[in-house]
Amino acid sequence: MKKKQVVSILLTFVLMVGGLTACGSSNSNTASKGSLNIYVWTEYVPDSVIQNFENETGIKVNVSTYSTNEDMLAKVKSEKSGTFDIVQPSDYMVEQMIGQGMLQKLDQSAMTNKKNIGSAFLNRSYDPNNQYSMPYLGGVAAIAVNTSKIKDNITSYADLFNSKYKNTMVALDDYRAVIGMAARSMEMSMNETNDAKLAKIKAQTLKLKDNIKVYDSDSPKSELISGDCTLGYCWNAEIALAMQENPAIKIVYPKEGAYEFLDNWCITKGAKNAANANKFINYMMKVETAKAVSEEYPYLQPNKAAVALLGEKYKNNKAENIPEDVIRNGEFLKNLDTATLAKYNAIWTELKK
Amino acid sequence: MIKQRFRSNAGPALVMIGPVVLWLAFFVAIPLIYVLVMSFCGIDKNYNVIFRFTMGNYRRMFDIDYVEIYGQSILIAFFSTVICLVLGYPFSFLIARTFRSKKTILYMMVIIPFWTNSLIRLYGWRTFLGTNGLLNKLLLTLHITSEPVQFLFNRSATILGMAYVLFPFMVLPLYTAIEKLDQAQLEASADLGAHFRSTFLHIMLPQTASGIFSGCIMVFIPCLGYFFVSDILGGGNADVIGNLIQRQFQSGNNWPLGAALSIILIVITLLLVKLYQKCGGDMQSLGV
Amino acid sequence: MCRQTKEKCAHNAGAVYCGLIYAFLFLPIVVIVINSFNATNTKPYLTWKGFTLDWYGKLFQNSALLDSFQNTLFIAVTSTLLSTFIGTLAAVGMYKYKFRGKNIIDGLLYIPVVIPEIVLGISLLTLFTNTNIPRGLLSLVLAHTTFCIPFVIFNIRARLDGYDKSIEEASMDLGANRLTTFLRITLPVLAPGIGGGALLAFTLSIDDVIVSYFTNGLTMTFPLKVMESIKSGVSPDVNALSTLILLATMVIVILTQSNLLKNLRKVLKRQS
Repeated sequence: MKKKQVVSILLTFVLMVGGLTACGSSNSNTASKGSLNIYVWTEYVPDSVIQNFENETGIKVNVSTYSTNEDMLAKVKSEKSGTFDIVQPSDYMVEQMIGQGMLQKLDQSAMTNKKNIGSAFLNRSYDPNNQYSMPYLGGVAAIAVNTSKIKDNITSYADLFNSKYKNTMVALDDYRAVIGMAARSMEMSMNETNDAKLAKIKAQTLKLKDNIKVYDSDSPKSELISGDCTLGYCWNAEIALAMQENPAIKIVYPKEGAYEFLDNWCITKGAKNAANANKFINYMMKVETAKAVSEEYPYLQPNKAAVALLGEKYKNNKAENIPEDVIRNGEFLKNLDTATLAKYNAIWTELKK
Repeated sequence: MIKQRFRSNAGPALVMIGPVVLWLAFFVAIPLIYVLVMSFCGIDKNYNVIFRFTMGNYRRMFDIDYVEIYGQSILIAFFSTVICLVLGYPFSFLIARTFRSKKTILYMMVIIPFWTNSLIRLYGWRTFLGTNGLLNKLLLTLHITSEPVQFLFNRSATILGMAYVLFPFMVLPLYTAIEKLDQAQLEASADLGAHFRSTFLHIMLPQTASGIFSGCIMVFIPCLGYFFVSDILGGGNADVIGNLIQRQFQSGNNWPLGAALSIILIVITLLLVKLYQKCGGDMQSLGV
Repeated sequence: MCRQTKEKCAHNAGAVYCGLIYAFLFLPIVVIVINSFNATNTKPYLTWKGFTLDWYGKLFQNSALLDSFQNTLFIAVTSTLLSTFIGTLAAVGMYKYKFRGKNIIDGLLYIPVVIPEIVLGISLLTLFTNTNIPRGLLSLVLAHTTFCIPFVIFNIRARLDGYDKSIEEASMDLGANRLTTFLRITLPVLAPGIGGGALLAFTLSIDDVIVSYFTNGLTMTFPLKVMESIKSGVSPDVNALSTLILLATMVIVILTQSNLLKNLRKVLKRQS
């Protein structure tokens, strides 16, 4: 009797697999032009943009996501080289990956849309002449305030450490971001290596322990929209999207100068689909693509041709169109040696326990 | 003609046992030995493992912040186990004995949620308990509270989540043990005038002890490693040892440290199993 | 108070208690099912915006989600078959033959059962990294089989407890060789244990999160896809798929447990 049960259960599931396979494959494009494996930040590349690329080229795109640069580095290192064709490291991580020999040079002849990118975003110190990277989106980590619940005038990172905001904050789940923010709140550098200064930064960081309610790098807007958190230290576009859902939420750029970043498209060494990868990067720099990206994830857009098309609502939205002085006053992260990073990690462990 | 029976058992034994031995050696023994070796190693500036003996990782283990996390993990695991036991024992008794005519369907109804993805069930709790979730909306409408209650993103929510996910692991061994209780003894005890409390303490408890221990072990140990529960319901606030280990294989980029943490976790597990065996626990009942 | 006897009061209290526990167990499932009908279109899909069946349709256009479920089923079926095969041979072999090192094998078998899954996950990750075994369906099947084998063996061992070897000896006396004896005599007796073990292995495999998390490479399984969705807000098509899976599970359980099949067979027999 039991044997019949097992057989019937297994049969049913096999039928389910068959059924779903039939449904699934009848909808997906039978891609004969190859595939592409991309490893990107969560909430960063719109599905519509990827779908469009698949339709235009017939290349099947497999998307995996990560939440921080360090997570991406760990996963790429643990996999066989070339498992992921494309990754999206931030500025300092590009430098680190070039140094570790993990990236391959882009095919410059395929980058026909490079002319759309503003010159301020090209030829940066971490990758002179953009041999290994093309800029995608940039931004800052700013402060979100739910003004219907918090009536105080918040103007700086330092304000976040006030104990009256106990259990109200959503913070990025990223140790460089949070510890760096603590450093900036005391007007120190986010890339501090001096032991005495690190001790002060540690003390400051630990003050956040009671204030932070949720750690979320992927979608902090969820906590702001659902009302679970009334204060936030998040990516600016996440705040912009939260503002769209709840107009009571406001963005504040810290007067000490924000944590700034610029993310880039890179191709990993040994990538199996390098040709498709180059095609993809060029596609992402098209005006229409960049415009679609900015409409869904309103970060700092390096594609000046696309920015011109974005319209008044974008120009007047402080959360999307980051003001010039904020960009000028921001600080970028730099690579630190493993010993110092171990100290940062120790602070992080103590904060999160 | 009497057929000659094979004298040597070596051939068939090898065929039957060989595969599992090879499998266990390659996929269990060797990786664990490698993890042990790696726990004594360090990393270079590119986060690659260097094979030079160092006790650095184990020295790190005894830093106060790590010890506090072990303490917190054990606390969370302890409370989850207690909740599962206190809620699960009467429940198992009821479905195995009192309602035994329907026990198969009742037992299946415990298993069915088990077949739904555990992550999405935890997300269901998150939706339900959120600041603007169903429970708070209900409490506010009924004027039981004036402000939404912060159920989520703390240690209690993590304990609830662990207890919820691991509840069937407590019920299954308890159910098996309670099913085997000698009904005649229980009736005799009642006939002889014993209070329910004495029957419970002197007959039921000792006879189901193996089920209790087995259930406790099957709940307590996974709690130490379930990092996704503290991520989803704890909001990253109630780290358990599993979170520490996961972090070293991700943003921490420090595999040897993660290996050392895993070894510590194995040691804690072995100590608990030894304790279980000392208390008369039966290893056989752990896997069924 | 209650005019009924004390026993009946206790009986009713017990029923209420069981009901509450079941409510506790099923509550998040009810939330998930309700949310699958949520007409919301904006992340994070938390606010209720009306009733709709659209997401059940949209589900079948989400090829990434369906692929992940397909992967999960494939991995589960393959691991179950593999672990059942290896486990049955091992359980019978260990019961019949005495040899040195049996305790070591026993100990090794308990390791995947008792230690936290995360330790198994990272140790398998280091193994795959160092031996260059490709991460993907292969590594997932190998990993899942590893933790399924002990459960299969323990389930069969429980059945073997009262097993009478003399039937096998009788069979061989009557002229059957070892293989025939094993297939025609031993296996049918063990069938319930094998079935139970296989079912347990299948259940553990389809819901596995932690071991899959470390050994999956690029391949998405359903639990991992759900984990990814939770990060950015679970869209109701994931809820819809979970609801469908739940329905399928309940249908299977009801069919195999109920008298429905038995009655159907009786009716068919009477007609023929």
